[in-house]
Amino acid sequence: MGVVSRPVPRVDAYEKVTGRAKFAADLYFPGMLYGKVLRSPHAHARIVKIDVSRAREVPGVHCVLTAADLPAARSWFTYLFLAEDEVRYTGDAVAMVAAEDPDAAEEALKAIEVVYEPLPGVFTIEEALEPGALQVQDYAPGNIVRNSHWPVRRGNVEEGFARSDVIIEREYRTPFIEHAYIEPEATVAVPDPVDGSVTVYGSVQNPYMTRRYVAAALGTALGKVRIIQQTLGGSFGGKEEVMGLMCGRAAVMAVKTGRPVKMVNTREESFVESAKRHPFRLRYKIGATREGRIMAFEAELVDEGGAYNSQAQFMNWRACVHSAGCYEIPNVKVDVYAVHTNNVYGGAMRGYSSPQVIFGQESLMDELAEALGMDPVELRRKNALRFGSVTITGQKLDDQPVNVLAVMERVLEEADYFNRREEYTRQREKGGPRRRGIGMAVSYRGCGLGAETADATGGLVSVQEDGSVIIRSGLTDNGQGLSTSHAQIVAEELGIPLSKVVYQRVDTSTMPDGGMTVASRGTYTGGRAMLLAARKVKEIIFRGAAELLSCRPEELASSDGLIFCSSDPSKKVSFEEAVRHCLFRGETLTQLGWVVPPELPWDRPTGQGKAFPTYMYSCVVAEVEVDTETGQVEVLRVTAGHDVGRAINPALAAGQIYGGIVMGMGMALMEEVELHKGVILNPNFDSYTIPTSLDMPEMKPLLLESEDPVGPFHAKSLGEPAMECVAAAIVNAVAHATGRRVRSLPANLEKVLLGKTLARS
Amino acid sequence: MHKFDYVKARSLEEALRALSQGGEKACALAGGTDLLVGFRAEDARLRHIELVVDIGDLTELAYIREENGCVALGALTTHAAIAESSLIRVAAPFLATACSQVGSPQIRNRGTVGGNLCNASPAADTLPVLVALEAEVVLRSLGGERRVPVSRFVEGPHRTGLRPGELVTEVRFNRPLPGSRTCFIKLGRRKAMSIARLSIAVLLRTGDGGVVEEIRLVPGAALPVPARVTAAEEILRGQGLTVELAREAGEKLAQEMVRITGQRWSTPYKVPAIAALTRRAILTAGGLEDVATRSQA
Ligand SMILES: Cc1cc2nc3c(=O)[nH]c(=O)nc-3n(C[C@H](O)[C@H](O)[C@H](O)COP(=O)(O)OP(=O)(O)OC[C@H]3O[C@@H](n4cnc5c(N)ncnc54)[C@H](O)[C@@H]3O)c2cc1C
Repeated sequence: MGVVSRPVPRVDAYEKVTGRAKFAADLYFPGMLYGKVLRSPHAHARIVKIDVSRAREVPGVHCVLTAADLPAARSWFTYLFLAEDEVRYTGDAVAMVAAEDPDAAEEALKAIEVVYEPLPGVFTIEEALEPGALQVQDYAPGNIVRNSHWPVRRGNVEEGFARSDVIIEREYRTPFIEHAYIEPEATVAVPDPVDGSVTVYGSVQNPYMTRRYVAAALGTALGKVRIIQQTLGGSFGGKEEVMGLMCGRAAVMAVKTGRPVKMVNTREESFVESAKRHPFRLRYKIGATREGRIMAFEAELVDEGGAYNSQAQFMNWRACVHSAGCYEIPNVKVDVYAVHTNNVYGGAMRGYSSPQVIFGQESLMDELAEALGMDPVELRRKNALRFGSVTITGQKLDDQPVNVLAVMERVLEEADYFNRREEYTRQREKGGPRRRGIGMAVSYRGCGLGAETADATGGLVSVQEDGSVIIRSGLTDNGQGLSTSHAQIVAEELGIPLSKVVYQRVDTSTMPDGGMTVASRGTYTGGRAMLLAARKVKEIIFRGAAELLSCRPEELASSDGLIFCSSDPSKKVSFEEAVRHCLFRGETLTQLGWVVPPELPWDRPTGQGKAFPTYMYSCVVAEVEVDTETGQVEVLRVTAGHDVGRAINPALAAGQIYGGIVMGMGMALMEEVELHKGVILNPNFDSYTIPTSLDMPEMKPLLLESEDPVGPFHAKSLGEPAMECVAAAIVNAVAHATGRRVRSLPANLEKVLLGKTLARS
Repeated sequence: MHKFDYVKARSLEEALRALSQGGEKACALAGGTDLLVGFRAEDARLRHIELVVDIGDLTELAYIREENGCVALGALTTHAAIAESSLIRVAAPFLATACSQVGSPQIRNRGTVGGNLCNASPAADTLPVLVALEAEVVLRSLGGERRVPVSRFVEGPHRTGLRPGELVTEVRFNRPLPGSRTCFIKLGRRKAMSIARLSIAVLLRTGDGGVVEEIRLVPGAALPVPARVTAAEEILRGQGLTVELAREAGEKLAQEMVRITGQRWSTPYKVPAIAALTRRAILTAGGLEDVATRSQA
């Protein structure tokens, strides 16, 4: 291959390292105003009165709006642009202003008088589920998030437990976690003075989703709203609802004032109003025979959705599919559902439930192994999915490679797992306060959206007369490198140098809605659309080239900008010449490739069906040193192997793995949004700790390739798998080192030392 | 955002005059790594400030020197400068260690010892060390100069004896006697950009036959005001240093912490952790090997 499978530099590297890339906050327009939002100090309160009259008099203020002034208070989902009479969490906004400079906007916010009547709230999963609990949303009886319940019923768990020799029951917990992208949310909404439409530039992960919010806020047609994505400083699933709300508000103020309106969140504002990783309460019962064959698996997985939620409905489906891990288990009963509380809302975050679910389920596997007196790897070997296995959702894996064991064995070997395990066990027995441990976790993950929603998307390839090629996708480059991988796929297919391909950022008015850039589908699904479009274009160009070379199109091949006859490479024409020939004849070399989603039947009451067309497999081994006198955990080494199908760009793929390891490490050891009665106590990075460069372990990424039948050039998903089993592996390593298990994340100083949570009150 | 007047002082004289005019409503700006963060957060402790006197350009206040056995640090000396100073590394190595662990390179390049002291956070990294060194603060105002021990200058969390119109110009301490050994250990939630959960500063000198002649133990982020814990020191003074005695002293120090601060949410964690850190720091300073200083590998 010429371009694919090579670690070519990112197409956006130069603009980024030279500081020329424009993030949304870098944009300035003549006459631009600055918008700010007033948020509730209470997690739950009735708004008795809002008086904005003094704020309107602050010099430089152009508009001060409350819910009463809006075309629509509610977004296309239930989130509020501005709350009308009740606030349900501390991120709810009650008023907004636009002024000539940020200081005037600030001052105006301070001049707004709001009288609240504080109300009691529900702040934990337990409180939400208590009979007679306060109802956070009228439309969610029992505080169960609408449509969030996803069951799996397979075999008969009662019988399975009856045939088990060892049964254990466990509960695990994970907290709210912040995405911690380096760029806080920003947007500029620019009104069109003529036709009443708006163009919104923003740090958006999902432009089409944002467009729904903006159109709803303005009460206008989708076609009158144009969203242009700016260079994004990370998102990880975070810049979804919060960007919809921010862009909607900015657009309303822009239309109202007739001026461009810019909004940029401070880090604290970002913490308060942006989605978080859903906390989970993971309860399990698992039974196995003495020999280690798992007979039954029962789980109740409850996640905290917060005050609003537009994700648990989808995310919990993924959670139910992957709930039992990459194992073949005959009897399964799983229930996943989410609850509302008066805390910040849960949203999408890298892994979309898997990191939490795998933490619970892979901890459980280690605990089961211990109860069986069996090596944890042995237990996994006995139960791992194999070619021809049937998953817990009843999908028979006989049309694709099934690489759990291949990946696991390779990673264990590369990590020198068995020697180290033995050595550390021996040393632990000798005592001493600093102890080393090694632990592992394996996982599998359905590629793309699967049966969650239609995994359709488009790619546009447009060849210009000079042979340069514009590519457009409906999916976004969020910093993960999609622009580079798409450009590589197109360059490879057309046989041209990568430098000829020009990636253009998403603009909702120039590409059809291709769904969201989520579910690690950017390359897997988006890349396929690009490949389809490139193939269509190539077919036309080859027809033209065949005419010029007097041969048949099937005889042609192309590489490095030349189209030649395979049997006689001296018969050749340049790509540009062939292109000009086609254009001169009046052909169009602009083609849309569209991925049509496969049919994936799903029976909701039983959770049986074909969840995903294909799966990818991962194994992570972590080594730690625990200071048992202070609870400090140092992660020494992480070996992470992933069945990536094919790495379109091995350097970027390794980058995903490095980033995933560090993010997983934060989840394992230190990250937690601390809340007290719905108020976030650590809304900035002085108190919300994420790993620094000094905390990073030695990392060994392994890109294990296989023949995926679906993805472009056999590529599978990687972005989310790269982080999803890291926390589980680290916590298993800590348990190995100390002989004591932390069942509630993060495994911070206090929990590792004392075995329990200490919370500031 | 808080609004205030701003003066950039071109000389010490000018700074003192401005501070004197501003009185209670004025404060100095050194590196700004605490002050500007506080303004942005609309910290209630800064609400009354109307004048900020920037002393950042007074390079005459950035020095490290030794005169007649006394080590003097200009108030504007940065953490980076202290961490790299060969004088400090020899005369008081634990001060260099403490400064080398402050925040990040950016913070160490801007943050000053004077600022660390005047901000008086219970978790400030130089404070336990300065108290262990029995350092003195030199304060200047238009009215003249006065000197106060660091242990008295800091009066409580974020409270000092700095008077209106005054500037800290220097921190000074007698060079520890030959044979003194020191150790500073900081415990945080991560390896950089980390506020101390706990820290401990130890200065120890043994005489003939390994008898402890001098011992100073000052925990950080443990007490409202950094102070020597004499009850723990007494366990060691006059004794030959052993692992057992170091352990006892650590436990005593932890008990004293609870006696002074009472039970807090974090006490169940801090008690065993500070005891262990103290033991380790004593043994490290004393050149004795502790089980915990070795890792398994
Ligand atoms: C990201 C980050 C990480 C940090 N990490 C650490 C850490 O690990 N350990 C630690 O101890 N601290 C840490 N800090 C806090 C801070 O950097 C230190 O306290 C630093 O020493 C403050 O010095 P400064 O010169 O910046 O003080 P400034 O912010 O300029 O001043 C602080 C206070 O002291 C007063 N002041 C300053 N100089 C004088 C003077 N000469 N006379 C009278 N008053 C004066 C000011 O009026 C103000 O009230 C961190 C801060 C940040 C932002």
